[in-house]
Amino acid sequence: MPLYILACRVLQSIMEPYLRDANIPATFMEYGFHRTPQLMTPALQEELDRVVEPSVFIIGYGLCGNGLAGLKAGQHTLIAPRADDCITLLLGSYESYIREFTAEPGTYYLTKGWLESGSHPLKEYRELLEKYDQETADWIMDEQYRNYKRLVLVAPDQAELDACRAKAREVADFCAERWGFQYEEKLGSDAFVKTLITEACKLTESTDDFLIIPPGGEIKQEMYWR
Amino acid sequence: MSEVLVQISTTVIEGRLKDIAALTNSALSSGLTAKDVLDKGLMPGMDVVGAEFKKGKKFVPEVLLSARTMQTSLDILKPMLAEAGEKMTGKAIIGTVKGDLHDIGKNLVGMMLEGSGFEVVDLGKDVSPEKFVEAVKKEKPDIVAMSALLTTTMRSMGHTVTALKEAGLRDGVKIMIGGAPVTSDFAKQIGADAYAANAPAAAEIAKKFVSAN
Repeated sequence: MPLYILACRVLQSIMEPYLRDANIPATFMEYGFHRTPQLMTPALQEELDRVVEPSVFIIGYGLCGNGLAGLKAGQHTLIAPRADDCITLLLGSYESYIREFTAEPGTYYLTKGWLESGSHPLKEYRELLEKYDQETADWIMDEQYRNYKRLVLVAPDQAELDACRAKAREVADFCAERWGFQYEEKLGSDAFVKTLITEACKLTESTDDFLIIPPGGEIKQEMYWR
Repeated sequence: MSEVLVQISTTVIEGRLKDIAALTNSALSSGLTAKDVLDKGLMPGMDVVGAEFKKGKKFVPEVLLSARTMQTSLDILKPMLAEAGEKMTGKAIIGTVKGDLHDIGKNLVGMMLEGSGFEVVDLGKDVSPEKFVEAVKKEKPDIVAMSALLTTTMRSMGHTVTALKEAGLRDGVKIMIGGAPVTSDFAKQIGADAYAANAPAAAEIAKKFVSAN
C-alpha cells in the first residue's frame, strides 16, 4: 500500500532525512493550526480525501488542542503519534515531555519552526503595536504571558540549537525583562519521529506511543489519554 | 431595541474600550436600568464574541479587549445593580485545573458569572482536586466551574469530580467544565453536569442550574 506523510511544517527538518532515505512523499502543512484547531481538522481531511488510492498515512501532528479529533481515515489507514502536541515529538518522548511539564508547567516553548514562522511573544508584541496603542498592547501581552515562568528553546540536535540561539535569545530577553522568564535550552531528540516513520508503519494495532486508525475509523480525543 | 444598547453591544464586540464608559452613562441617563445595559447590551455583545472566537474569526487579543470593555461598563453598573436590590443568583467556585496556568477563559467566565449576579470565589490557576474539595467544604457553592486549556491537564477535571464524590460533596453542587480542548462528550465521561462552549454560555447554564433548584 502506498505510504504518505501528512505533517506540520514544524517537523519538516527532523522528518526529511528519513523521508529521503525511504523515498516517502510528504505534504507539510503551514504552521500555526494549533491556534485554530477547528480549522485544522477540515484542512487535514481535505488532504487525506484527495488521495484516491487506499494508502497508509503517517500523521505528523500531536492532538494539538483537538485539531486531530474527528479526522476520518476514510479508505486509508492513519498512523499518529500519541502526543498532545509537537513539543513531545521534538523532545523525543512522552516521558521527557511529562518530565519537563512537571518540572515547570509555566513553560513557553520555542522551536525552529515557531521562530521562523513568527509564532512567539516578541513578534506578537510587535504586531499588536501596529494595531493598538502601547498601553493596550502591553495589557494584552501581560494578560496572555504573565503566568509563564520560563522560555525553553527545544531542538532535536545541537546544530539546530546553535542555529536558533540568537533569535531565541532576543525573544528570551524580551520575556525576561517583562515577566522575569528564565531562559533554557533543551536538547531534544528525533527518536519519536524516527520510530514514527521507520517502525510505526509496520504496526497492526495501537501501542503506548502510536495510534493505528483503520479504514473507516476516526481519531478521537480519548485515544490520547494515558 | 434602544439604539444605545445596540451601540453598547457593538462596542463590546469591537473592544472599543474608550467609548464604553460614555455609552454606559448615556444609556443610564436615558432611563435604562443597569440590568437593561447588562442583559440587553453587554451580554449579547459577549455572545457574539464567544461565537466568533469558537469559529476562529476572533483571536485571544480581541476577546481580551472585548472582555476589558465589558468589565469597564460592569464597574459602572455594579453599585446600581447592588442598589436595585438584585439578590445574588447563587454562589460559584471557579478555577483553572492542576498543572494549567492559563486563566484567560476562567477569568472571562468569572466576569460573566458576576455579571449574571453570582457571588464568585476564584481559586485562581493550577488548582488541585484537593483545593477544590476544601473550597467546596468552606464556601458551600451552588456551582463548581473548572477550566483547562491543555489536553494534558484536562484530565484533572475528572480527578476533581472523583475527589468531590469521595468527599461526599458531589451531590451538593453542579459541576461545569470548559476550555479549548474540552467537549460535551468529555463532560459526560467524567460525570460533570455540563459543558460550556464559551463564557456567555457558562453564565447561561449556571443560571439555569440555580433556577432549577
